[in-house]
Amino acid sequence: MYLISTLVLLLCSSTIALENLVLEEEYTEYLSIRSLRDGKVASSFSFKTLLRDASPRDPRQLSFDDNQDASQHYTLFPLTLGQILRQYAITELHLTLNAGKWNYDSWGVPDEPGVGPGAELWAWMADGGTMSVDHRWQGLRNALAGLFCASLGSLDEQRTTSPQYAFPPEGTIPDLGLPHQIRHASHASEHVCTENLTPFLKLLPCKSSSGLASLLNPHRLFDADWHGMGIHVLWNPDGIEVHLNFQLVSDPLRPSTVQKQDWSLESLFDRTIQKSCPVAVTSQISVSLPSSGMYRITPEPHTLQGDNAHYELGSSLAEPFNVGIEWAGELEYPSALRDSSLMPISIHRTLQGPTQDKGRLLVTLRNNGPNELKVLYLETMPWLLQFYLHTTTMHIDGIPRNDLISNVSYILPVPHYQPATFESVLTIPGNATVRYSVDVTKAFLRYTEHPPDAQRGWDLPPAVFVPSTDSLRRMYAPALLVDLATPDFSMPYNVIIFTCSVVAFIFGSTFNLLTRKFVVVHLPEGN
Amino acid sequence: MDGPRNPSTIFFQYERIRRSIIASYWIVIILAIPLWWQTTSIERLSLPSSEVYAQAEAHRGFQLPVRIILDSEFTKRDNSLALEVQTVLKDSSALDIRVSGSSGRSEGDSYLVLPSESQEIRVEGRELFFPLEKASASVLAKTLASFILPDKDHRVVQYSPRYRLSFSLLNEDSSGGQVVEAWDASNGIARHIEPITSALSVLHNFTIESQAQFYAPLAFEPLKLSEDEAYGLTPEQLTVFVNSAEWTLSSSSSNDPVLHFLLFVPSASRRPLKILNKEGKPTNSNSFLIPQWGGIVIANLPESPSKIRLSTDDLKSSFTTFSQQLLTLLGVPRLSSGAVRSRQQPTGWQIDALLRYRAIENVVRTSDTLRSTVSLVEQIPNMPVGEKVRNDVRDALKALKSLSSSSNMTLTGILATSRDALTLSQKAFFHPGMLALLYFPVEHKYAVYTPLFASAIIPLVVAAMREVVAWRKQRRGVQVPQG
Repeated sequence: MYLISTLVLLLCSSTIALENLVLEEEYTEYLSIRSLRDGKVASSFSFKTLLRDASPRDPRQLSFDDNQDASQHYTLFPLTLGQILRQYAITELHLTLNAGKWNYDSWGVPDEPGVGPGAELWAWMADGGTMSVDHRWQGLRNALAGLFCASLGSLDEQRTTSPQYAFPPEGTIPDLGLPHQIRHASHASEHVCTENLTPFLKLLPCKSSSGLASLLNPHRLFDADWHGMGIHVLWNPDGIEVHLNFQLVSDPLRPSTVQKQDWSLESLFDRTIQKSCPVAVTSQISVSLPSSGMYRITPEPHTLQGDNAHYELGSSLAEPFNVGIEWAGELEYPSALRDSSLMPISIHRTLQGPTQDKGRLLVTLRNNGPNELKVLYLETMPWLLQFYLHTTTMHIDGIPRNDLISNVSYILPVPHYQPATFESVLTIPGNATVRYSVDVTKAFLRYTEHPPDAQRGWDLPPAVFVPSTDSLRRMYAPALLVDLATPDFSMPYNVIIFTCSVVAFIFGSTFNLLTRKFVVVHLPEGN
Repeated sequence: MDGPRNPSTIFFQYERIRRSIIASYWIVIILAIPLWWQTTSIERLSLPSSEVYAQAEAHRGFQLPVRIILDSEFTKRDNSLALEVQTVLKDSSALDIRVSGSSGRSEGDSYLVLPSESQEIRVEGRELFFPLEKASASVLAKTLASFILPDKDHRVVQYSPRYRLSFSLLNEDSSGGQVVEAWDASNGIARHIEPITSALSVLHNFTIESQAQFYAPLAFEPLKLSEDEAYGLTPEQLTVFVNSAEWTLSSSSSNDPVLHFLLFVPSASRRPLKILNKEGKPTNSNSFLIPQWGGIVIANLPESPSKIRLSTDDLKSSFTTFSQQLLTLLGVPRLSSGAVRSRQQPTGWQIDALLRYRAIENVVRTSDTLRSTVSLVEQIPNMPVGEKVRNDVRDALKALKSLSSSSNMTLTGILATSRDALTLSQKAFFHPGMLALLYFPVEHKYAVYTPLFASAIIPLVVAAMREVVAWRKQRRGVQVPQG
């Protein structure tokens, strides 16, 4: 095995040798649809391309001005993405662009864990060679910003952190003899829209012309209650895998006049599948069957696995494909919906305090199970909000329990430059609600640091919680909005005039007083 | 009884004190002016404009030496042949061409014309085999001219030290009956493209990439031909053939110019797709070239089977076309009619001619860029000119000068110097520092200054004037009693 990997390395380092390697590529597509208990329908598209026997680039082959590189030959793998990965020697990459708040309590675990609001980008890179990790990170986010038409360029040093535990690699880290580093940044006010979907579709072999991707109708996707797309690149010994996914939560109750949860591909996406993608190895639709109620699913599932009905789209479709579920009766909201959560913990995070200079960050965590639970808590807070760590408190029903906080690591923010990284492990006893709070101070910004819509406030990135029971199931707390002290930008010239008038008035009167000549005027007497 | 005290006896009402107060205000203002000037003025170093203009003039006649040696067999037949050939060649090109007759072997980088045994004109390395009987001055000169310096061709891309060659397989509609799943591009490239890229490695570096696309619709409807079941592309349609909105061709990851080579597979329902001439008649050609952009080959494949993998043999004709298109785009001169090469790669003559062509192109572009930089700076008085820009301009000039002065440089050395000159001149022209204060116009400054300075300066001026008048009156008053 060692011999083979050495051989592969040798081949990669030689320009000509790699061209003779025939890389096998494999493309699969998958759609899963499930009805949620509040009547909504969650759909998750997943498009996977595997580049067999490829490995991430060794950063030691990179050099500053000369990007001499081996040839790249792809058929199914998107070339534009492949170029970026090679140019910055990225081992693992995750980019998500979402809009809305994932309602964990009533929607449960999302098919893809990356459901944080706004844009989130994180990457694992090997550290070595002449180009530093930060330099490549900068290049990566600019290249991705160009590729996806998203303002990822703003994920700069002021938003970049390197959390140690919350984002472990999802693939395998290749043994290049180099340490790997993570860079993570998120930007809650960046929203996903059509201009991001178009380049996303262009990365797919069949674009939106055939196969499952033809269902991606922007009019319906961006009308959904929650929607988001993700681009994941990871390596495992099979090869490099690009995983593009689109998730949405649509509400079939909204357009219908009766309270029925019925859905079909046509009602959800306003389209049916006309043609199958000829280059997809498998093209599968999986519908999770409801556990209660009278319903009918059409057409007949090709296979049944537990609670899931599977459909396999063959290489050619005789007629347009549509699948749907019809219920016999109207939807009845479960009466216990408010109290019971589908997740092991429920999270609430708020920012309190009416003033523009001080406040308090409050996180309420509820353990929905009977057993004690350890949760990794990560805040990647821009320097706009600075924590007073000594005011950190934990309460259960008003009783202070600071012993529940452990393993605190804190990287201080640097004003105008670097965000704070706060990681700790919180222990939550079974069926208990803990309140975590810390005092914060709000930053006073320079005139030029305000965004164009300064009065709106600043979106703060979501906090991340990782239950120790399942280290890959991250949970995102909703984003917060902070209102910072904002100057009046509307009349700069008036301000100049006013200030100048005051200065001129003071100057004039001082000057007059210093240089005035007093004379005695004798009035003629006798009048 | 004490009257009111005479104010002029109070110390701060002394004439001298008041005048020195006013004077000190003015002294401070006058002393502050240089500081204000220093902090608000733009750094504008002077560029060597006259030198740039002189250099641009001088390079109209930029000359490169070319040595051609005729074999003694030629000179034996006609003693003045060498001189005649030289006169004809010199009239037609701007190069410093010297033709001489010699029996010895070539020295250094001269070119040899040798007698050919057969009737064909053959090129090998830097040797030209020419049939003795045909060797008249005009014919020989004509043949040589095409080898020495190619004509300007608008299809040739601008010089860049590095190109990206992007090969794309485009299925117009892969769900329409037939799909080309894969193609053996890497082998085709290795066989047909790499001999060229390695021969041209003295001029350019190449990065090669290939991709396949399964949906690449055209932005227009091809013409349906009435006679047979065929479709046609009119010359106008060829100009809009590339559908850049739908085809993901260009890459965003580097600034190198990209040359695209597309193998277009029309959808099964639109075959065969033919290229029409101006009269609307189908031609035999299945490929065309877009100047300075790339080349396109249309592959009308047989209808079955429904899934195809194109092997190296299937791609042979397409990649031969691509290699021809690449040679044209890079400006490799064509051999004049009748000349044959021993191998497919460009010969030493062609490479040298290309080196000359590129060196002259670079010199012309450099002096154009320098001239534009200088005239731009002259036109916009607000434009800052920093040390870096000045140094780049100077270095570019220095490189240009070294090109014209030293005649013992090799062609590759000349190209490298001209490339450096071009890079430096472009760096100067596009220097971001030159934009810094363009957006801070004079009106803006006055709008900020006047509210403060006008209201502060007026009392100062009035006080000074009043004091001067008073002082003059006083002097006259003093003088009168004396006189």
